[in-house]
Amino acid sequence: MQRLPKIVRILAVISFTAVVVLFTALIVNSFQNSGKPLTSLAPEGPSAESIQKLLVPVTAIAGIVFVLVIGAIVFITWKFRERKGSDPDEFPSQIHGVTTLEIGWTILPALILAGIAVGTVMTIINLNREEPNSIKVQVAGQQWWWEYRYDLNGDGDFDGPEDITTATELVIPAGKPVQVTTTSNDVIHSFWIPGLNGKKDAVPGLYNPLKLQADEPGVFRGQCTEFCGLSHANMRMLVRAVSSSDYDAWVRNQLKDHAADPTDPVAAEGKKVWQALCAQCHVIKGINDVKMKETPPPLVSGVAPDLTHFMTRGTFAGSIFNLYQPVSSDGQLLPMSDVAAAGDPGAVLTGGPVNTATVNRVTLEAWLRNAPALKPMYPQGGRGMPNLNLTEEQIDQLVAFLETLN
Amino acid sequence: MALTEDRPLALPSGDSNDAYTPTGVFTRPTAETGPRSWFTTVDHKKIGIMYGAAAIFFFIIGGIEALLIRMQLWAPRGSLLSADLYNQVYTMHGTTMVFLVVMPIGAAFANYLIPLQIGARDVAFPRINAFSFWAFLFGGLFLNTSWIMGGGADGGWFMYAPNSGVIFSPTHGIDFWNLGLIITGIASLTGAVNLIVTVLNMRAPGMTLMRMPIFTWMALVSQFLLLFAIPVLTSAQVLLMLDRGFDANFFNVAKGANPLLWEHLFWIFGHPEVYLMILPAFGLVSEILPTFARKPIFGYPFIVFSGIAIGFMGWGVWAHHMFVSGIGPISVTAFSLTTMFIAVPTGVKILNWTATMWGGKLNFSAPMLFSIGLVTMFTIGGLSGVMHSVAPMDTQQTDTYFIVAHFHYVLFGGAFFGFMAGFYFYWPKAFGYMLNESIGKANFWLMLLGFNLTFAPMHVLGLQGMSRRIYTYDAGYGFEFWNKVATIGAFTLASSIALFIFNIFYSKSKAKNLPPVGPDPWDSRTIEWMVPSPTPAYNFDPIPTVTRVDDFWYRKYGETKDGKLVRIASTAEVAQQRTDGKGVHLPSPSYWPIVLAFGLPIVAYGLIFSLWLALIGGIVVVAALYGWIMEPPDDPDLAHDDHGPEAHASDGGDAAVPDSADAVKEVETVG
Repeated sequence: MQRLPKIVRILAVISFTAVVVLFTALIVNSFQNSGKPLTSLAPEGPSAESIQKLLVPVTAIAGIVFVLVIGAIVFITWKFRERKGSDPDEFPSQIHGVTTLEIGWTILPALILAGIAVGTVMTIINLNREEPNSIKVQVAGQQWWWEYRYDLNGDGDFDGPEDITTATELVIPAGKPVQVTTTSNDVIHSFWIPGLNGKKDAVPGLYNPLKLQADEPGVFRGQCTEFCGLSHANMRMLVRAVSSSDYDAWVRNQLKDHAADPTDPVAAEGKKVWQALCAQCHVIKGINDVKMKETPPPLVSGVAPDLTHFMTRGTFAGSIFNLYQPVSSDGQLLPMSDVAAAGDPGAVLTGGPVNTATVNRVTLEAWLRNAPALKPMYPQGGRGMPNLNLTEEQIDQLVAFLETLN
Repeated sequence: MALTEDRPLALPSGDSNDAYTPTGVFTRPTAETGPRSWFTTVDHKKIGIMYGAAAIFFFIIGGIEALLIRMQLWAPRGSLLSADLYNQVYTMHGTTMVFLVVMPIGAAFANYLIPLQIGARDVAFPRINAFSFWAFLFGGLFLNTSWIMGGGADGGWFMYAPNSGVIFSPTHGIDFWNLGLIITGIASLTGAVNLIVTVLNMRAPGMTLMRMPIFTWMALVSQFLLLFAIPVLTSAQVLLMLDRGFDANFFNVAKGANPLLWEHLFWIFGHPEVYLMILPAFGLVSEILPTFARKPIFGYPFIVFSGIAIGFMGWGVWAHHMFVSGIGPISVTAFSLTTMFIAVPTGVKILNWTATMWGGKLNFSAPMLFSIGLVTMFTIGGLSGVMHSVAPMDTQQTDTYFIVAHFHYVLFGGAFFGFMAGFYFYWPKAFGYMLNESIGKANFWLMLLGFNLTFAPMHVLGLQGMSRRIYTYDAGYGFEFWNKVATIGAFTLASSIALFIFNIFYSKSKAKNLPPVGPDPWDSRTIEWMVPSPTPAYNFDPIPTVTRVDDFWYRKYGETKDGKLVRIASTAEVAQQRTDGKGVHLPSPSYWPIVLAFGLPIVAYGLIFSLWLALIGGIVVVAALYGWIMEPPDDPDLAHDDHGPEAHASDGGDAAVPDSADAVKEVETVG
C-alpha cells in the first residue's frame, strides 16, 4: 500500500481529464443533430423555433455561470491548497462573512433570473396563442398508438360524416397552423413531435391544446413521453407534412369508403376473414363503421386503429414498423427507425395504386401471425391486439385485402 | 416518552418499582453489547448506524437494479429484460433509491449527529426513534418481498393514475408499493416529530438556535419538510389503495375523476421531498468545508436562512413537474417563476461554500474531496434545473433523459456525494477508526469519473430525443454511443461503491495496529468532536455550555480582532475524557419498538392477501402498544441515585448544568 498515493494521483489526473474531455465531447455532440430524428435541438416549425430562441440564450447564461463557478472552484482549490511543509500552526485569515457580498450575490442571480423570466413569460403567451384558421385535430392516445380525428367542417364535432378518423400517422399541410387537442382513452400519454413543438400530455377526460406547424414538407417523428404501461417504449408517432395540394388530395381520398368488394379473389377472401375476425375491433369505413359505434370493441380504451386507408400510412403497429421499405434479404424484421428507409408511401398517400413490391410484407405477416410477440401487449386484459392464431392462408388473404385499402 | 422516563427519578430513593410492572409485561432489556442490544436499543447512535447500514443494503439492491437498466440499454433492442420486468426494475430502482437509500441515509446522519451537535444525551423520544427505524426497515423489506410474491410495482416511482389502477396493473406490485411506503412514511413522520422536538427542546445550555451547527439546521428544516410532505403522500396512497382494493373511484375517469388529482398530490409531496433529501447533505458539506479550509463557514446566517427559504419556497413549485399535463398557461407561468427563484437561495449556498474555501488553507482529505464534488456536481444539477424552470424549454425536456441527468446530478452528485463526505468525515467518530485516506481519495476520483460518465451523456441523449422509462430503443435514432458510455460509467460507479465497502473492512482490519483515534482527528469545529471516539453511550459527561457558533473550535483557538487565529488550548485539554458514565441516566432499551414495527407489515400482507392476516397483524400492533404503554419506566434493578446535578441534566437536556467555561472566557465572541 506504499505506492497508493501515487496511484491515487494518477487516477485523479485520469479522472479529471476524462471528465473535461467528456463534457467537451458532449457539447460538441449537441450541435450534431443530423441523423437524430427525435432531436429537440433542430426545430422545423414556428413553435419549436420560439422554444429554441429561448433555449439558446438561457443555455448560454447557464453555461457562463457553470464556467465561472467551476472555474472559480478549480482556481481556488489550486491557489489555496495547503502547501507541502507549511507551518501547521499558521492559519488563514478568519473571515466570517461579508454582508455586502452576500446581498450582492443574492440580488445578482435574482436579476439574471428576472431577465430569463421576461423571455419565459413572453414565450408562454406566444405558444398558447391560438392561430386563426387553423386545422383542428383531436389526438387521442391509447395503449399503445395514437388516433387522429380531423374536424374538417369546423363544426366542433370530430365525428361527423365530413370528418376524418385516422391513426398512427398525422398528415398536415406544411406552412399552415394546426391546432391539436390531446386526450386519452385510457391512461395518461404524452404527444411529442420534438421538431415541431414541445410535448403535451394526453390525459383522459381532459382536452389539452397544442399548436403544430411545419415550415416545410417532411416527416417528423415522435415518441410517447409519459409512461403509459407495458409498451410505452413502442408508442411512437409520425407527422407527415405535405404540400397544400397533396394535403387536399389526401383529404379527398380519406373521405372515400371501401363499400365495394375487392376484385382480386384472394383479397375478397381476405375481406371475409377480416369481417369474421378483425372487424370486432377495427373499423373500415363502408364495411363496419356503423356497427362499431353501437358496440365498442372489448378493449379498455374502447377503440382500435381505423384501417380504412391503411395503405396510405408509412408505418403501422403504433408507428414502430415501416409499412413500405426495402425488404431485408434475410427476412429480418425491419423497425421503422431505419430513417433512410423511412418508407414514403409516395403515390399511395393521395390514393394512387399500391406498389405491392415495396410493401414490408415480412413484418406485416409476422404482426398478423402473433402481434404480442412483436410488441409487448396485454390482450388478456383488453389492452392491445391478441394473437388470433391465423393460418398462413388466412394471413396471405388478409395481407392481400389490406393492400387494397388505399 | 420523556415524561415516562422522568418518573423514576421523582421516586423517593429505594422505592419499589413493582407498581409499574403489570402482569405479563417484560422488564426492560439490559444488554449493552451483542445482537440483542441492537434489537432493543433506543440509543440514537446505534439507531443512526442501523439506519446507515440498512440504507447501504438497500443501496446495493437499488444499484443492482440500476445496473440491470443500464445493461438493458447498452444497445438497441436489448433483450436482457422483458418490457414488463424492465418497468418493474426501473420503478423499484427509483422507489428504493429515494425512500430506502437517500432518505434513510439522511436519517442516519440526523439521528447520529443531532443529539451530539446540540449537546444532548439522546433524542426526545428514544423508543419512538427505535420504532421509526424498525418501521422503515420492515417497510423497505416488505416492499422488496414483492419481487418473490408476484413482481414489483410497475407504474414508475411517481405511480401516475390511472395507470396505477387495477385494470392497468393487475398484479400486487403496486399494492406492495402503496403499503410499503405507507409504513416507511409512518417511520419518517414519527422520526420527524422526534427530531424536531429534540432540536427545539434538548439543546445544551447556551446553544441558541443561531449557534447550532449548520448540519443540525439543515436537518431540522428537512424534518419540517418531512412532517408536512409525508402526510400528503400517505393520503394519496390511501386513496389509491381504496381504489385498487375496494373499488373506490378517486382516480376512475369513467366515474368523473380527474387524474391530475394524483399528480398534484404526488408532487405536493414530491417536490419538498427533493429538498428534504438534499438539505442534510448540504449540512454535512457546510461542516466539512470549514474544517478543511481552516476557516469559518462564510456567511453562517445566510447559509441558515437560505436553507429555511428553500424549505418554504419548496412548497410553491410542485407543478413544475406538470408543465405539460394541461394545467393551463397561467399556472404554468406562476410555477415557472417560483421555480426560477428558488434557484436564488440555492445559488447563495453554492457561492458561500466557494467563499468559504477562498483564502483558506485547503487540505484535500477524502471528506473534503467529496464535499467539493458536491459543490461542483450540484452546480450542474442546479443549472439544468434552472433550464427546465423555463417552462417552454421544459416542454421539450420533460420526461426525456435530460431530466434523468438533472435529478441524478442533484440526488447523486448532490446528496450522495455529500453523504460520502459525511461517511469519511464521521467514520472515526462513530466507529473509532479512520477510513484509509488514500483509498478514500481513489474512491472519490473513481466515483467522480463513473458518475459523470453515467449521467453527463444523458443530458445530450435527452435533448436529442431519448424518452424516459423506455425499455428499448431502436437503431437509427443516434442513441447508441452515449448509452454505451453511460453503461460503462454505471459499472465504474459501481466499482467505486465496491471500493468504499472494501475500504470499510480494510481500514477496520488495519486499525488494530494503529493508535486509537482521538476525539478530534480532523481538528474540527463543532462540539460532537469533544467526546471520545467512538462516542460513548452517554455522549457528553458533563454537558458542555455553548457560547458561540463552532464552540469547540474556539475552546481550542482564540481569534484576535484582525482575524488571526491563536491556539489557546490543546485538543486534549478541552476534549472530554471517557468516563464510566456512572450517574448518567440514559433511557433503557425496550422490546416494544421492534414488536410494534413488526406488526405493520403483517397488517400490510393481510390487506393484500387476506384480511384475517391483517387482523393478526392488528393484534400484534395493539399488544405492542399495550406493552409499550405499560412497560416499566426502567429496569427495577438499576439504581437511580442521583449523582449531583449531572444526572438531572440527562433528562431534560436544556436543564443541564454548565461545566466550567473558563477556556472560552478570554475569547471575544464573534459569531
